[in-house]
Amino acid sequence: MRSSLLIFALAASAIAQTPGRKLDFPVDSPVLAVSSDWSETKATPRGGAYVLDVHAVLSLRNASQKRIRGVTLAVLAQEVAPGGKGSVSVPSLDVGPREAFPLRIDLPLLCPLGAGGPMVEVKLDGVLFDDLTFYGSDKLHSRRTMTVWELEARRDRKYFKTLLETAGTEGLQKEILIGLDRQRDRPSAGVQMVRGRSTNTDPEREVQFAFLHVPDSPVDPTAGSARIAGNEARAPHINVQNRSDRAVRHLELGWIVKDQQGREFLAASIPSDVSLAPGKSGAVTQDTALRFSERTQIDGMTGFVASAEYADGSYWIPTRAELNDPKLRAVVAPSPEEQRLLQIYRKKGLNGLIEELKKF
Amino acid sequence: MTRHVNETGLALYASGDMSLWQRASVGLHVRRCERCRERVNQFRSDAEALRAASAETPEGLDWARLSAEMTANIRVGLEAGECVAPRTQRKSWSIPPIWRPAAMAAGVMAMLTLLAGAWWLNFPAQDTQSLNRAMQELVHGRKTTLDDRGPVIEASPDGIELRKDGGALGVSQDSAQLLTVSVSTQGSASAHYADQDTGQITITSVYAQ
Repeated sequence: MRSSLLIFALAASAIAQTPGRKLDFPVDSPVLAVSSDWSETKATPRGGAYVLDVHAVLSLRNASQKRIRGVTLAVLAQEVAPGGKGSVSVPSLDVGPREAFPLRIDLPLLCPLGAGGPMVEVKLDGVLFDDLTFYGSDKLHSRRTMTVWELEARRDRKYFKTLLETAGTEGLQKEILIGLDRQRDRPSAGVQMVRGRSTNTDPEREVQFAFLHVPDSPVDPTAGSARIAGNEARAPHINVQNRSDRAVRHLELGWIVKDQQGREFLAASIPSDVSLAPGKSGAVTQDTALRFSERTQIDGMTGFVASAEYADGSYWIPTRAELNDPKLRAVVAPSPEEQRLLQIYRKKGLNGLIEELKKF
Repeated sequence: MTRHVNETGLALYASGDMSLWQRASVGLHVRRCERCRERVNQFRSDAEALRAASAETPEGLDWARLSAEMTANIRVGLEAGECVAPRTQRKSWSIPPIWRPAAMAAGVMAMLTLLAGAWWLNFPAQDTQSLNRAMQELVHGRKTTLDDRGPVIEASPDGIELRKDGGALGVSQDSAQLLTVSVSTQGSASAHYADQDTGQITITSVYAQ
């Protein structure tokens, strides 16, 4: 009898329930929620917390007078604890005034067992318009991220349009097929990221970074190293110099790792706020550890500048020609816009892609 | 002179069972009316006599006989109950000796399953992870991580995941195609998904904190 009661109690504790939800958009928000479907969202108690499986489809409408290029929503169950925060971004949009567009949220979140019950809150973090102006709280730094995506989108659309004009449909198709191969063959390895401490008992060694110098980059990495222990690399430290005539306030570096078989892959990006006056030097450091699969032995590392933000709010991104460096082509993923164009080609063929390129 | 109080009212007044207001009203009348006052006194003396009589034990009462009669009556009642509704006889149930080891093993397995379920639901995940790590060290004979207490963000060709205290939160979109994953050393991982029909890209990110 007691056993039955215990089993019943254990089973009852694992029953899923529907969490509360809240769409929190400011009163002057340029996007409005027209409808939302949360029917697949559920919360399941696990230990001392709820695991929230958030599956929602929102229909949003552009309530502004500008065309929208990107939207980022923060999805919160608890703002400060691990597992309580996520985000969903939709780049490469082209939504005119009063037009509606769908946004799908698929995220797992954690929130503590509390008196109020499980609750999901969706907040507008930012909206990017076609004139590169921005609206939003920007707590997740979505302004910078979406602006870089939009600049990459313009670069890639222009590249494909020019290719269509100069090399015709055959030239465009050839480049698209190369892009599809590149996307398929891009090496990727499982990587775990831990912030703040050593997690390995193997002996450490200091390994120097090699650098890919992107010709037009306003910032040049000059020297750098990280501590390597077995399959783990931690505490990257990279010296950089501003070689432009404008102050730089933010950098994003790419971190490429080579294993003992000579295989290279993009391990992580290293974003960092800096204050680099023209001609001045500084350092980018992160108290972070990257851990790869147990079979991976780190044999070398390469760094490169992926993007930079000037103090005046404008940005630098590499050109298509600079991305044609064989090493970069092999490891850097296509931009979100190029990924979208490749998907359109796969679904609708060359004519569908050409129609899409003519839109804007 | 007001009307006389009826018998019931006088009885209640004599026994002190009236409400405060009625008692004051009847008391006013009784003080002025000799006939009613005599009736009240009569009720009070009767009540006193009754209390005195009930306190006395009847003469010649044999307690031993009375007790035996009561016990006999109870037995008769029980036997009569047996005749009206015959009791179902409980069968003695025993496991044949040949099956006893199997039954014991099944009982132990059931108990272990119950304990494992209780552990899974209630044991602190961090302790579970530490135990798991220690078991791995014993089995594989190799050093593993020293400290996995903080959140770990993982990106793999299968998607992105946030791990904390032995639990894992993985992002998945059944209706979309996973294209790329990336990790930022500032504490987040992102996955790019493409809608199968429109090609629209959705970028989902999880944060260490």
